[in-house]
Amino acid sequence: MNTSKTFKLDGKTVPFEDGDTIMDAALRAGEYIPHLCHNPEFTPHGSCRVCIVAANGRQVSACTQPAAEGIEVENSTEQIMSQRRTLLQMLFVEGNHICPGCEKSGACQLQAVAYYTNMLSPHFTHFFPQRSVDASHKDIAIDFDRCILCELCVRASRDFDHKNVFAIDGRGINSHLVINSASGKLGDSSFSASDKAAHVCPVGAILPKHKGYEKPIGERLYDRKPISVVGDVAAHDQDQEQ
Amino acid sequence: MVFNRQRDLLDMVRNFAHFFVHESCGFCTPCRVGCSLMKDLIDKVHAGHAGQYDLDEINNIGILMRTTSHCGLGTTAANPMLDTLNKLPEIYQNRLKHSSYEPAFDLDAALQDARDITGRDDPGAHIGTES
Repeated sequence: MNTSKTFKLDGKTVPFEDGDTIMDAALRAGEYIPHLCHNPEFTPHGSCRVCIVAANGRQVSACTQPAAEGIEVENSTEQIMSQRRTLLQMLFVEGNHICPGCEKSGACQLQAVAYYTNMLSPHFTHFFPQRSVDASHKDIAIDFDRCILCELCVRASRDFDHKNVFAIDGRGINSHLVINSASGKLGDSSFSASDKAAHVCPVGAILPKHKGYEKPIGERLYDRKPISVVGDVAAHDQDQEQ
Repeated sequence: MVFNRQRDLLDMVRNFAHFFVHESCGFCTPCRVGCSLMKDLIDKVHAGHAGQYDLDEINNIGILMRTTSHCGLGTTAANPMLDTLNKLPEIYQNRLKHSSYEPAFDLDAALQDARDITGRDDPGAHIGTES
């Protein structure tokens, strides 16, 4: 292990190893860079753009940018935080994210990152897309209204479960999550509640059935401490199940 | 690009805005959502319902797309808007109403249903009409 290589993250020295991205090195050093589509267990994706940082003055996504010796990375400047806030507002108006009625509220990564970046309103005009709920599976329900196209379920089902249950179809603003079965319904696919893909959704799009609102307000994942301290939803999946 | 004097350059910008909504692949947030927001704002300017606030929004969204998009399409999709806002602001200014904020619809026209139902057409049943 070669820890002699370092870069600067907001002025702090962060060691890295060959092959690390800026995100890998920062997370290992206990430094939080806001992210949604990144999960350390999966190949980096770089689509949500929430982990945007300035590396030597150039805007890059920390989850896909290789760490390099001596670079100066800005993570918490007002300019970067403002860009993240706007990206989150875009994600909020693009789908139908009704936090007060959502089962995942309080334990949702989108909501937690929005709080972390001090996003106080959706700002833009809502798109109010028409999407339906898929409740065909006996153990898991999918609410497409809350999907943020992070492709974590796509990657988990393809790379871990080797089932290829999920994919993104369509282009541009019409991109949407689809299910690999003849009917397009989850119930007719090979998906199971024990799949990795059932436990990686950062928002309330893929939810277990037969229970709901079990944890009262005040005891949910991000109720007492911010996401920068608590970490990702997926990392706490076992706690949530209990 | 070369245009003669008859060309309405806002039409050209609008054409680009609609083109890039269609052309965005949808992978990254700033391009996928930004192109659609941009199209709606340019349409708003074109319809004569925009104010200075909307022009600032076009500029802000354009800069975000340019700096945070994943690929070259997203980083340049806002160029037609950013360049014309910078170099030819009059093509936007000519379409603005004078206030800093304008609703996306005609307030007085929206009251027509209510006027029909109540049978009123007196000045008190109109809004924003100078008389």
